[in-house]
Amino acid sequence: MRQYIHPEVLVSTKWVSDNINDPNVRIVESDEDVLLYETGHVPNAVKIDWQLDLQDPIRRDYVGQERFEQLLSQKGISNDTKVIFYGDKSNWWACYAFWTFKLFGHENCLVMNGGRQKWLEENRKITKDIPLFQKTKYCVGKINEKTIRAFREDVILHVEKNKSLIDVRSPDEYTGKLLHMENYPQEGALRGGHIPGAKNVPWARAANADGTFKSADELKEIYETEVELKPDDEVIAYCRIGERSSHTWFVLTFLLGYKNVRNYDGSWTEWGNLVRAPVERP
Amino acid sequence: MNKLEEIIETFQDLDNESRLQLLIDFAEKLPPIPEAYCTLVQKQAHRVHECQTSVSLWVNVVNGKVQIYADVPRESPTVRGFIALLIKAFTGASPIEIDKAPTDILNRTGLASSLGMMRLQGLSAVYRRIKDETRRASFLNSRN
Repeated sequence: MRQYIHPEVLVSTKWVSDNINDPNVRIVESDEDVLLYETGHVPNAVKIDWQLDLQDPIRRDYVGQERFEQLLSQKGISNDTKVIFYGDKSNWWACYAFWTFKLFGHENCLVMNGGRQKWLEENRKITKDIPLFQKTKYCVGKINEKTIRAFREDVILHVEKNKSLIDVRSPDEYTGKLLHMENYPQEGALRGGHIPGAKNVPWARAANADGTFKSADELKEIYETEVELKPDDEVIAYCRIGERSSHTWFVLTFLLGYKNVRNYDGSWTEWGNLVRAPVERP
Repeated sequence: MNKLEEIIETFQDLDNESRLQLLIDFAEKLPPIPEAYCTLVQKQAHRVHECQTSVSLWVNVVNGKVQIYADVPRESPTVRGFIALLIKAFTGASPIEIDKAPTDILNRTGLASSLGMMRLQGLSAVYRRIKDETRRASFLNSRN
């Protein structure tokens, strides 16, 4: 059986349980529901909200460098802190926060495999106590925008050169039958369909029912046998607002070891509204 | 002042953190649904499909007064809290009061800014559904 290419980015729930009080470790919970952390969380975990903490409230973008530094400083995270992300829905939002940390160049990021669901199913301890850590002085060094983030101009070039695109939305969103995830609120796109040439692999196919990631063999079967990606491909992943695709970005980059994967966070809510952007519908 | 206005005013006066805390308090106090409704939850017969969370909702009008029941998973405290708030505000009100209730309560309570733009659509959908169901129940009553 093959191993993940970078197994060191995953830790188990047991590892987290054993390292809860390590001052060099900071556990970060990131959920879809903004209040879930408050109902009980891993002891000593801090909360980082994908929307209120990581996105600029006015402009459609991530927070700026200064605000990111303030956030990490408040959460007691230093430049060399080992940050363990976990959250609800198969670590979907944890991967989003992980990607944003990588965007701002934080080196030591890991994911607790199985996330919140596995922790709770194993009846591990949770608490409502919100930990307070001493403020740090956090300095963003290198911003990785060029390597892990794609803008619409990049996607247009990508399409022209027939490079790999992965659309991680549901099949109905991909075909244009729906403009948003089934049962999810309508989030503004005027056209339905997908970016020409994109292949469809819904993000959750990479996760097991217990919230953990599928094995390297299963992932290779999906991404390499089924949709014929190759580890040397330049890949851009997208979804509706760039959150589901950060999960796929994580899987391709760390579990399968692809060296050139970017997340198009503008995603369908940008592309599906862009005048004259080419749209493919089956 | 009616109950909804009182609740809106309470939320308005709070800072972000206390506002979210109050919503959690509401989430914890969501009244249980009558036992007879439990099997309907499994069948998803009363599911609010416009909301990503699996919410089941019942609105009845009995003797001119509105009763609302909802089943919302514990993993969705924001939706639970918002529905519990609406149940507190509207239980015992007349269908006309609910029909006239302001449509922009997420803004007026300050919850819109506390929760973030992308979390509002599902909540607005639940609110619209309560208003629609009240109108429907009240219409059916008037025909009987």
